[in-house]
Amino acid sequence: MAMTRGRLAMLEKEAAAPEPPAGAAAASEEEEDEAPEEVTFERARAAAETDRRLAGETARRDRELLKEKRRRREELFKEQKKRKLLPENVLEELTSRPQINNNNLSDTTKQGENRNKNEERNRRQDNKGKKRVVRLKGRYMAVRLKDQDLTSQHQKMAKDFIQSHLYGPGTNRTTANQFFSFANKKSPVKKAAVQFVNKSWGKEKKQKATHFKKRWMSMKMVSSV
Amino acid sequence: MGEFQVHRVRFFAYVPAGIRCLAHSPRSARLALARTDGALEVYNFAANYFQEKGIPGHETRTTEALCWAAGDRLFGAGLGGDISEYDLEKLRVKYSLDGFGGPIWSMAADPSGTQLAVGCEDGSVKLFQVLPDKIQFERSLDRQKGRIMSLSWHPSGTHIAVGSIDLLRVFDVKSGHAIQRILVDRRPQGLYSRECVVWSVAFLSDGTIVSSDSVGKVQFWDSEKGTLLETHPVSSSAVLCLAVSEEEDSIVVGTSEGAVYQFQLLPVKWGSAESKWVRTKPFQHHTHDVRAVAHSATALISGGLDAQLVIRPLMERVHGKGYDAALRKFTFPHRRLVSCARKARLLLFQFPQHLELWRLGATNSAGKDGDILPVSRAPEHLLQLKSKGPEHICCSCISLCGSWIAYSTASRLHLHRVHLENGSVSVKRVSKVPKLLCSAHQLLCSADSTSLFVASDQGAVHVLKLLEPGGCGHLQTLRPNSGSAQAVYLLAASADGDWLAAAGGDWEINVYSLRHFKPHCTVPAYNCAVTALAIHPVTNNLVITHSDQQVFEFSIPDREYTTWSRKVQQHGLHKGWLERDTPITHITFNPKQPAHILLHDTHMFCILDKSLPLPDDATPLMNQTALKQLSEKARRGYAHAFKICKKYQPLLFVDLLEEGSLVVVERPLMDIKTQLPPPVQQKKFGT
Repeated sequence: MAMTRGRLAMLEKEAAAPEPPAGAAAASEEEEDEAPEEVTFERARAAAETDRRLAGETARRDRELLKEKRRRREELFKEQKKRKLLPENVLEELTSRPQINNNNLSDTTKQGENRNKNEERNRRQDNKGKKRVVRLKGRYMAVRLKDQDLTSQHQKMAKDFIQSHLYGPGTNRTTANQFFSFANKKSPVKKAAVQFVNKSWGKEKKQKATHFKKRWMSMKMVSSV
Repeated sequence: MGEFQVHRVRFFAYVPAGIRCLAHSPRSARLALARTDGALEVYNFAANYFQEKGIPGHETRTTEALCWAAGDRLFGAGLGGDISEYDLEKLRVKYSLDGFGGPIWSMAADPSGTQLAVGCEDGSVKLFQVLPDKIQFERSLDRQKGRIMSLSWHPSGTHIAVGSIDLLRVFDVKSGHAIQRILVDRRPQGLYSRECVVWSVAFLSDGTIVSSDSVGKVQFWDSEKGTLLETHPVSSSAVLCLAVSEEEDSIVVGTSEGAVYQFQLLPVKWGSAESKWVRTKPFQHHTHDVRAVAHSATALISGGLDAQLVIRPLMERVHGKGYDAALRKFTFPHRRLVSCARKARLLLFQFPQHLELWRLGATNSAGKDGDILPVSRAPEHLLQLKSKGPEHICCSCISLCGSWIAYSTASRLHLHRVHLENGSVSVKRVSKVPKLLCSAHQLLCSADSTSLFVASDQGAVHVLKLLEPGGCGHLQTLRPNSGSAQAVYLLAASADGDWLAAAGGDWEINVYSLRHFKPHCTVPAYNCAVTALAIHPVTNNLVITHSDQQVFEFSIPDREYTTWSRKVQQHGLHKGWLERDTPITHITFNPKQPAHILLHDTHMFCILDKSLPLPDDATPLMNQTALKQLSEKARRGYAHAFKICKKYQPLLFVDLLEEGSLVVVERPLMDIKTQLPPPVQQKKFGT
């Protein structure tokens, strides 16, 4: 608003500015008597209106752009959520399959496509042999106890406890290579580290090389014979 | 000695499992040891620290506590939540009882040996009564928050001290209530400090509680008032285990850095009545965490995750002979893990869960003494047989021609037929193996590969017939005349297929005649464990070595000791021979030289020449290098029967192949050490 006022003032000035030079040649006194403001006011008003319109239009454009962006983002999130939710959908359909989908018969084609995709995924998952029956409702997961051995879970937790206290953060552990290479480092005759050459470097290349060599030798034998 | 071509084998990738628990029984001078893979071993201290019994491991068994109770019964408990009793005669788990408290972290027997207290994950201490044939749940003491990491009985049996996370508690056994609660300090480290785990506690008879925790301090508390008497910061990493001597004047602790410290109760001033606990001796024999310590009357025993068992005798408690005060380190088992098929030049390596079959390499060149010959054909890894199921392999063997491989776990015997043609290997499992009711502790194939001898419980040896296309049938069971309850753990068969010798846990050696399937005779009893047996191919003399390094030769056809053996006993063995640390695990013979016996232990192999004179204590035992410098004539003057070579160490197996070649299986210690879990960093100045 201040800007428009300022612009108005400037426009007024500009409007007023050319006037004196134009009228200066004729008679400056006459111009001083005239009320040139009317004409300038009209023009200024028109100019101000166009200006305001322009500003309003730019603001509207900006707002619309923002809205577009927001809408696109929302759609993206929805899409991601849908993608994530899809397996649950699939499983719900899995569990509700025996109840024949009479309700779904009247779906629109779009949902029908979705269902086809779900069924394909169903089949693929069935082929993988997942035996867990999972129902997702709210924030918890209900699982069959038979599938999860309690003692082995307890055992795993206990082992993790020992592992974290003996080897976790705060314990000052180092690798076997570094530990045993101290002696080599400190001895009067300096020697290389204990595992200076790691035998697993380039393993596949070496294997390929030996295979190739065998094949080459056998080819040579065959060709020479 | 003769010229041998030595196949120096170092591709047996054997890594022993770390030691997790130790339990010392002062009454029977035995030490029970549990490893991280669930295996159990029993060492007999009186028989020169020989590993006399071994129970193979199990994939799901993780033992966290071991204790002896009610005489000679051994109990173990682990993270699976079960308390198991081990049957030391049949070498397996007798039964398991679920504690219903989650994973069990600690277990201790009360001073009278009739009750077992078990500390569980859910925070409860459960008491079990030890009955003659089982254990029974008696009651549970008050449950507390936090898992019970360690527990200890007061010598009077009325109180139990329990160590948990950040806390120590004292329970009154009769009422079951906690009467004292002591807070253990955490590491002073600012806002967030890690919780302090009390790894072990001990309750002394004057009411002092000794605790060791993960911050690295050993603290002494007054249990009545709940106050701190003394604190000793021992290391910057955790102090994992603690053991008190029987007289309660010496405590041994083990830390994560591999150091073992001794604390002693010493008078403050000379002659004063007041005494204080003082940290006296540091020992650094381990490179990795020391997870178990035990205190015997004369020695400190420690076992670590570097799979070494170290027995350090205390000088002030050992009287007499100098060798008794020597440090002992055991890394390798006292059993054979390698079998050799001599005719086919194959080696079978036994791992806990699989077997590997390798063919030895060959060389075309010849050389003189000490040369390294180039390998023209590299050793080949032919086969890897994985065992099904969670149980570990107990014993294995391969026939001399290399066509039969047999191995046994704690519950089943497996037999495989191997076909080797022109570089291709095929293996077929023999499906109908007779189901023996008892497990196999040792397996041996006969020299002509037609029978398999299975050493079993109660002194019995089963003879199985190996049928050609790939079948097996039970032929006979040989039992000794005198009934024995112990299992047989060593077997030896003669080359002509007539005789079989078997040594059992009661150290009795029975010889059976395979022609009539009857016991033939028994070797006169000797009160020390048998470590190796072998029958000479020509003379049918049975050579026996014992854990106190004695060597005997018994003639089977004549049923008496040979003249050479009597000569050795009269003369006595050399001091250097008797003072060896490790037992002889394998004996073999040279068919071209009937007077030679080849023996080996972990640090040397020796060719005993019966035709040469025996050395007395004045002459040096290892004189081979000196003899090489002398001329032929001079050598004859100085040579003696024991030709020892210490060039190849540490040895797992030595055998003689035909055509003057020797196969030597070594396992360098550094190769094992690089496969162990990460050790604690030791900062050294300038690195």
